[in-house]
Amino acid sequence: MSRRSAPGAVFGVLFLLHCAAAPAQTNLIGYWNPLFHEDVDERIPGPSIGDYLGLPISDAARLRAEAWDASLLSMPEHQCKPHPSTYGFRGVGVLRIWEDRDEDTQQLVKIHTHIAWQEQHREIWMDGRPHPPEYAQHTWQGFSTGSWEGDVLVVKTTHLKAGWMRRNGLPLSDRATMTDRFHRYGDVMTHVSIVEDPVYLTEPLVKTNGFLLAPAGTMTPYPCEPVVEVVRDPGLVPHYLPGKNPFLSEFGERYGLPREATRGGAATALPEFAETLR
Amino acid sequence: MSAARSSMLLAVIASAFAATLAVAQPARPRPPPASPREAAPIDLTGQWVAIVNEDWRWRMVTPPKGDYASVPLNDEGRRVADQWDTSQDGRCEAYGAAALLRMPTRLRIRWDGAERLVLETDAGRQVRNFDFGAPAAAAARTLQGQSAARWVTPPRNTGGPGLAGAGGGPASTGGYLEVKTANLTPGWLRRNGVPYSEDATVTEYFARFAAPNGDEWLMVTTIVDDPRYLTQRFIVSNHFRKEAEGGRWNPRACRAAS
Repeated sequence: MSRRSAPGAVFGVLFLLHCAAAPAQTNLIGYWNPLFHEDVDERIPGPSIGDYLGLPISDAARLRAEAWDASLLSMPEHQCKPHPSTYGFRGVGVLRIWEDRDEDTQQLVKIHTHIAWQEQHREIWMDGRPHPPEYAQHTWQGFSTGSWEGDVLVVKTTHLKAGWMRRNGLPLSDRATMTDRFHRYGDVMTHVSIVEDPVYLTEPLVKTNGFLLAPAGTMTPYPCEPVVEVVRDPGLVPHYLPGKNPFLSEFGERYGLPREATRGGAATALPEFAETLR
Repeated sequence: MSAARSSMLLAVIASAFAATLAVAQPARPRPPPASPREAAPIDLTGQWVAIVNEDWRWRMVTPPKGDYASVPLNDEGRRVADQWDTSQDGRCEAYGAAALLRMPTRLRIRWDGAERLVLETDAGRQVRNFDFGAPAAAAARTLQGQSAARWVTPPRNTGGPGLAGAGGGPASTGGYLEVKTANLTPGWLRRNGVPYSEDATVTEYFARFAAPNGDEWLMVTTIVDDPRYLTQRFIVSNHFRKEAEGGRWNPRACRAAS
């Protein structure tokens, strides 16, 4: 043993003691299939225009959404956009989770999540590093750091690009942040997202949805090449001017829901709102 | 330094740590096992309000007859669901254990003694009892059935080195409540008569967490298994925000079947 080995032995003992005191960490590694037993209308075919039921949106969010035209998605610039991490876990596509560990120390450095649709790849740093300064680049998946609360993985995400909270034009700003949580119960995982946005939300938006472990899961690539689907005049961006969107009332009329419900807002999520509908 | 000396040094260091721990933890008589109430890793008591921002049009209002989208019904389940009509709206079958927490409701959760948690809802004025310990003798089937509860506390990690608490303060110990419910009368998964049978069992996981703005949340993951009407498990999750004690509480009864 060299002269440097004695401190090494001390470190080794301290390391073992540290491990014994660390909280449990659930193994999230593997393939997970999203469950669509909730919000299926929104998540599979896509939400209706003007459906903001139960969402704590601001007036600014509603104004932006009412100007949104689905034809926007046919523009080459928009065809290959991945979901932002604030929405991706509610979208379609298999989820794969794996981890990076330091080869020498076996310390957990990073957890990766990858969702098949548009290849949404997220890195969750587990090594205690701080978030970068505000001027750092904002991306679809943002910058994420994780920690364990017991056996629950808790992730904080900042540095998001401006995105969406629902695929019918409801926006999120680049000031949005997210805390998400991964709760595992056997082969079921419940994902919780808590999104805060001082621009487009009046209170945090909390969503929960499920995944089912897929022991024989697979994932295929999702290459995307934009093409010209619709020939448009240069500079034309599909939109509706305020008050000109003809589709806003269709959803409510189809299901017999009043406009004050479909317009959303925090109050529409509370039990007492249901009483006003009787 | 020889290998023998290095091994001895390691043993000495380990012994020193062991001795330190022994001094810090003198032998004491083993205390009696904690009651479920004392052993609770999280506090679920208090008043909670459902925040209905998922499946809104199936939960806040009664959906149209035959609207069972996303419920994995088999042919028999669909046949039964199609027998429902609007005259049955508001009946108590919609408030059974498998779907009670999907309702727009407030919850009050309290201890009744040291081994029973009681959950009450103002919607439908229902009461569920979560019993820890030995299961009660089989009783008549009821809308809320019989529920066996246990705390699940994650073990301390002993083999998978990671960075506990990285990124923000000391990590909490976590834990959740698992509730398994059976002995049910038939009920509805949705207010429009989407059925579950008396063969159904319900497994629920109750977890609590804090949001960055300080709000406290209760999340309940519900798994309904029904070999009679479902082709696979029906899995949903509901979230409730903590409210001040004595806050709004609006009991409204459901209609018993005529």
